[in-house]
Amino acid sequence: MKALNKILKSIESLPAFPATGNKVAQLLSKPDYSVLQVANVIKYDPSITANILKMANSAYFKSLHKISSINDAVMYLGQKNLLRAIQTAGISKYYKKGAVGYFDNAGDLWEHSVSVALMSHILSKKITGEEDTTMYTAALLHDVGKIIMGEFIREEMKKISMLVTYQHMSFLEAEETVLGINHADLGGKIAEHWNFPVEIRDAIAFHHRPDLLQKSDKIMPWIVYMADEACLMMGIGNGVEGLAQRAVSELLQKFNLRMRDLELSLVMLSEDLNNARELINVI
Amino acid sequence: MGDLIVGISDIKISNNPNETIVTYALGSCIGIVVYDPVAKVGGMLHYMLPDSTLDAKKARDNPAMFADTGIPSLFKACYSLGAEKKRMIVKVAGGASILDDTNFFRIGQKNIMAMRKIFWKNNVMINAEDTGANHNRTVRLEMTSGKTYVKTSGGEMKEL
Repeated sequence: MKALNKILKSIESLPAFPATGNKVAQLLSKPDYSVLQVANVIKYDPSITANILKMANSAYFKSLHKISSINDAVMYLGQKNLLRAIQTAGISKYYKKGAVGYFDNAGDLWEHSVSVALMSHILSKKITGEEDTTMYTAALLHDVGKIIMGEFIREEMKKISMLVTYQHMSFLEAEETVLGINHADLGGKIAEHWNFPVEIRDAIAFHHRPDLLQKSDKIMPWIVYMADEACLMMGIGNGVEGLAQRAVSELLQKFNLRMRDLELSLVMLSEDLNNARELINVI
Repeated sequence: MGDLIVGISDIKISNNPNETIVTYALGSCIGIVVYDPVAKVGGMLHYMLPDSTLDAKKARDNPAMFADTGIPSLFKACYSLGAEKKRMIVKVAGGASILDDTNFFRIGQKNIMAMRKIFWKNNVMINAEDTGANHNRTVRLEMTSGKTYVKTSGGEMKEL
């Protein structure tokens, strides 16, 4: 298939992923890291530095001190928040142009990505009781395939909409039928190209069908899936996909959740979104 | 012509004929549009969830989050500009769901049921409704004409 080859080739032309996030994650994982060491890695990347400072003072991170330098950020944000701020700043680079074909507005894909990351964070705390920075990164990147798929989608939109409307396919299934690959699988391949660990790659590739991943003990794809569907239900960044999404029925029993839990999480998301405008506005 | 944008869990009202009230990309949420053609007062509510007993504190802080607190707030806000209940035209849109709806993702359906129950209890007739299915909807209320328009994702804009 010609389109498929072109799509796969486009991965090669993506710029390398900023190493800052990974380096900082390594440093912070050591119990005796120094503020100076961490700050030195970040300072090296001026665009990330500026964005971290913008975000660090948002109500979302609840810092009690005004943060005006990277040293302040390392001291006052705390490890996990610092890592999340760094990942958000680093990843935002790739979303600047949005995803033509999926969205009319360039900022929609980023707003959706941040919202899904915030919701994954809420759901993972509810389900596992823990914060998971890796999951936050996977959630931020779940739709990264769209930055390449967008222009191909635009050319084939008529065919795709016909399949969705008349054959009752999900948007993802229609993408795969028409183009030979869907945006989730493509995102998994991009993450591989960027050398992300396999759990992030899986969470991206299976974010619409976590039930198809043959590793049932992995919860990351399920939580990203749930967060994504919740944001789509709220109408945050649906674009042309609308709500043509498969519901995976095992979700409820798997985590012993009730409808009420999802509703309460949505209430928390709306509060986080009010506090996190700085994260959405970095691009 | 200014656009008054209604966010998620938000209410906007107007009596300015030069304004258009609009909410974008409703999913499972519901947009309620009211208009009094005599007072030329209109308003729109974009609520997220059916029932305020979920979180009473949130409902006090922001009644527009829930159907049962948001709908009365919308009507009261319009009364404050001179609208009267018996003249109000009511139109609703939204409450979509994802495909092969399971229990967990039934919020769209629950939102539709909640709104119908509240209107029925209060003897308010729904003049037009475009709910359910699996597409997003953008809703506009043109204050100059009192007309409501709905645009579905990928579709044309239609009068409701």
